[in-house]
Amino acid sequence: MKGVLFAILGGLFITLQGVANAQIGSAIGTWQAVTVTQLTGFIAAVFLMILFRDKTWRHYKRVKPLYLTAGSFAAIIIFSNITAIHQIGVTLTIAAVLIAQLAIAFFTDIFGWFSVSKQKMKLPQFVGIGMMVAGVLILSF
Amino acid sequence: MMTGIVLSLIAGALVGLQNIFNSKVNEHAGSWATTVLVLGLGFTASFTLGLIMEGADLFVLDGMKAWFWFSGLIGVGVVTCITQGVRRLGPTYAISIALTAQLVFALLFDSIGAFGLEIVPFTFKQLIGVLVIIGGILLFKLGGRSKKASVEMKEKRLA
Repeated sequence: MKGVLFAILGGLFITLQGVANAQIGSAIGTWQAVTVTQLTGFIAAVFLMILFRDKTWRHYKRVKPLYLTAGSFAAIIIFSNITAIHQIGVTLTIAAVLIAQLAIAFFTDIFGWFSVSKQKMKLPQFVGIGMMVAGVLILSF
Repeated sequence: MMTGIVLSLIAGALVGLQNIFNSKVNEHAGSWATTVLVLGLGFTASFTLGLIMEGADLFVLDGMKAWFWFSGLIGVGVVTCITQGVRRLGPTYAISIALTAQLVFALLFDSIGAFGLEIVPFTFKQLIGVLVIIGGILLFKLGGRSKKASVEMKEKRLA
C-alpha cells in the first residue's frame, strides 16, 4: 500500500513540476526559468548526495562517455515543456510527452539500441501504443 | 496547437533517451551521484543556451518570487517517491501507477486552473481521451511479454 502511495505521489510531483516550471516561466521568462530550476535542483541534489554519503561519483569514469551527457538534454526538454504547457495546457502536453517517451523505450527494446538486449513486442504493446495515440487525438480535436 | 504537440513530442523523446542513458550511469553510480551529474549538466546546458538566446537578459529576474528558488525540490520529491515506489512494487506496477497519476492530476489541474493555470474546461471528451490513454499505458505495461525478468530490468529506465 505504501508503494502505491509513493508511486501516486511520484506522478503528482512530475505533473506539479511541469506546472511550477510553466508558472515560473510566465513570471521571469522561459530560459530564465529553465536555468534557475536546474541550478536550484543541482544545489539540492549536491546537499543530499553529501547527506547520504553517496561517494559513487568516483565511478562516473566507468560509464561510456555518451551516456554521461544525457543531463544536458534537460535544457531542451524543460524549454519545450514550458512552451507546450502555455500553448496547449497540461493534460495534452503530458499525454504527448508520455507517448514519445514510451515510443523511444519501445523502439530501443525492439531494435536493441544502445546495447540494450532486444525484446520481442507482443500484440498488447502495439495495441497499447495505438490507444495512447488515439487518446491524444481525442484530446486534441 | 501543432507547435505545442511537436514540442511535447520532442521533449518526450529526449526524456526517453535520458532515461536510458541515466540508467546506464546508475548501473555504476548511486541515485544521488547520478542526479547530481544530470542536474549539473542540465544547468550548464540551460545556462549556455539561455545566454545565447537571451544574452544579458538571462540575469534579469524581475518578477522572481521566493518559492521559485525552492521549486527544484519538487525534483527531489520525484526521485525519492519513484525510487521508493519501484523498490516496493517493482518497476512495472510502480511506473504504470505513476504515469496514470500524472495524467489524472494534469486533468485535475487543467480543469480547476490550479496554481494560476489558465482553466481548460473539463469536458466529457477530455475524460474519454485520458481514460483511453490510461488504458493504453496499462496494456503496454502490464500486457504479457516474453522474458519477464529482463523486461522488468528494462522498465526501470522509465523511472
